[in-house]
Amino acid sequence: MNAPMSRRQALFGIIGAGGTVVGALVPTASAEEHPAHPVAPLDAVAMLYDNTICTGCKACMVACSEVNGLPPDTSLSGGLWQMPSDLNSKTKNIIKLYQEPDGPGFAYVKKQCMHCLDPACVAGCPFDALKKNLWGAVTWDSSLCIGCRYCEVACPFDVPKFEWDKWNPKIVKCEFCFDQRLLHRKEPACTAVCPTGSVIFGKRVDLLAKAKDRIAAAPGKYFEQRVYGEHEAGGTQVLYLSSVGFDKIGLPKLGTTSLGHYATKVTSVIYKWLSGPILLAGVLGMVIRKNWNRHEAERPEREKRTGFPEQL
Amino acid sequence: MSARDTTGTTLVNHWQSGVPVNRGPVITDTLVFFGAVAMIGLALAAIRFWSPLGPFSGMNDAYAWGIWKTFNVMTLTALGSGPLALGIAAWVFNRQKLHVVMRTALVSGFLFYATGLMALGFDVGRPWNFYSALMPWRWNTESAMLEISICMPIYCALFLSFEILPLVLERLYYTGGERTRAVLRRISPVLRRMYPFMITGAYVVPLMHQSSLGGLLLLAGTKIHPLWQSPFLPLLYLLAAGLCGIAFVTFLLLLACLRYRRSLDLAILGELGNLLSAACFLFLAVRFGDLIWRGMLDQAFALDRMSSLFLIETTLILIPAVALRFKAVRETPRSLLKVATLACLGGTFYRFVPTTIAYHPERHSIYFPTVPELLIGAAYISLAIVGFGLAVKYLAVLPGDTGSWNHRFRSLPSRRPATRPEGAIA
Repeated sequence: MNAPMSRRQALFGIIGAGGTVVGALVPTASAEEHPAHPVAPLDAVAMLYDNTICTGCKACMVACSEVNGLPPDTSLSGGLWQMPSDLNSKTKNIIKLYQEPDGPGFAYVKKQCMHCLDPACVAGCPFDALKKNLWGAVTWDSSLCIGCRYCEVACPFDVPKFEWDKWNPKIVKCEFCFDQRLLHRKEPACTAVCPTGSVIFGKRVDLLAKAKDRIAAAPGKYFEQRVYGEHEAGGTQVLYLSSVGFDKIGLPKLGTTSLGHYATKVTSVIYKWLSGPILLAGVLGMVIRKNWNRHEAERPEREKRTGFPEQL
Repeated sequence: MSARDTTGTTLVNHWQSGVPVNRGPVITDTLVFFGAVAMIGLALAAIRFWSPLGPFSGMNDAYAWGIWKTFNVMTLTALGSGPLALGIAAWVFNRQKLHVVMRTALVSGFLFYATGLMALGFDVGRPWNFYSALMPWRWNTESAMLEISICMPIYCALFLSFEILPLVLERLYYTGGERTRAVLRRISPVLRRMYPFMITGAYVVPLMHQSSLGGLLLLAGTKIHPLWQSPFLPLLYLLAAGLCGIAFVTFLLLLACLRYRRSLDLAILGELGNLLSAACFLFLAVRFGDLIWRGMLDQAFALDRMSSLFLIETTLILIPAVALRFKAVRETPRSLLKVATLACLGGTFYRFVPTTIAYHPERHSIYFPTVPELLIGAAYISLAIVGFGLAVKYLAVLPGDTGSWNHRFRSLPSRRPATRPEGAIA
């Protein structure tokens, strides 16, 4: 009964112990799923928003709500008209106004999902409910989401919203009008409806070049002479040009490394093919088996002394 | 288990094996109180099952995780890491003395994990989609959240349950008839053959998910104050789990032995104190090493709001680390209880602060748990307390002197008083 196990038995046992996990995790990630500075694919689409052109007409908000079938958020207007205070579970897109505390200056900002090149929400989502879809649109799948709200914790732009008042809550965020328009080869509702061209749609490479042309054509017009979103959090597919500081219009100061890279650079090595845990199980298992065998060998003597079967 | 009387202490009794609490009533006032809290909270949780999260909790889009996740799961499972920390000490580093306290660690750890998983179940917004956990092709293997949501239930339902199984079988053996015993005699060698492999899994799996709990916070990036946000979060979360696990088992043993008038075994408690001191020093070394490496030391001692939180946390861990180096502290139950409490507080403080107090999203918003949220959170803890209170009476959990026990168990309340012929006791 207490015959020592063969090495092969031990190995099988170790693998068996973590069996379900081991067997299933084998098709793990490819080499560089989260590079520090992701490169945008050539077909990546983008929006370019320039707040020196925006007149704050909010036509994009109406168009967004209409195309996405969102109910109006009337909580601030006493139930009279749509008046969201920020992105929320009824608002995927919003125009906000920044006014200088002491001066005539002001600037608008359009907020929606930034469609990061390596989104933190996608990196964290346990069952790929949020994913980087065709052309880089970040979309949400209701049949996969468990409602853990890790995306809300992860997103550096505070974009995903949760329907706190629904029994069957959804994650609400701009999805680049993916199902409604992109799949039908139409540009998103907000860029299509914008009367001034302050937000435009195109390929990311083209829009980035266009933004840089605008900066070059008017030196001193744009804050820091740069495009927000070119490198922020590894780069985003919504690009901003602003006349005032980005922090003033609610665009956070972020590093250039993608959060997915920061969060997984160590674990992706340790968990590669589950090699770390398997190696650990092998080493621990070997030591434990040695100690266990010694413990078992001494057991009859102890049991004889106490007169009772030994407790495990 | 192994009772080598080599220490020569003046104690009458040594801890030799798990012994059930056979005297005194099963249902006490304390148990009724915690049972009532558990019932109220669980009734609320049941309502929550048919209600949206909004009206029940203070959570919002900026603070999307409330105390159910940040306290009941991310913080309290650290206290439930005793089976991990002590198991590794006993079976890997061959600290034989600790085998006898493993049962206390296992039962408390199981209860913390089980109630934590309940908390998770009521916290997620779309639990009906969780069946994806059984479909590996749907897994995002890069996600720490996936690792936790798969590993934690497996650990609790498979590994911890396996380790607790002998306690239940032992009860069946001594209370059952000849037939039961014959079956159990047949099962026992099988369990023993599986045991070393199962405990290997029981250490690897929590090593993974306890570090992943810290890994969760990495993606939150700059939302978490730089004193806590660090690439070392997973390692520190793991070390804090070890620290809390040892500290909580020490705390629980002292408290339970006081409550049920058990004699103490200062040799074993001293061993726990030694381990706890080492765990505290190890944690502090990595914590400070990380702060120095990232050049955060001046912020840590800036004496502003966040720095004072850090200093409280460090003090709570530093005091046990230093105090437990003294034999007088280790072998005085009263001071051991005090420093173990401090270590529990310090470790849980470290686990809780970055999830809530040092968590600052862009949007200005505040989160404070609502009354139902607090009640439900308290209910999970009360349920664990009730579970432990019952377990020590019906199962041989708490360590004691084998000579004081005739291998009888109390009969369960629902059954007729068991008629046991004297001869049936082996």
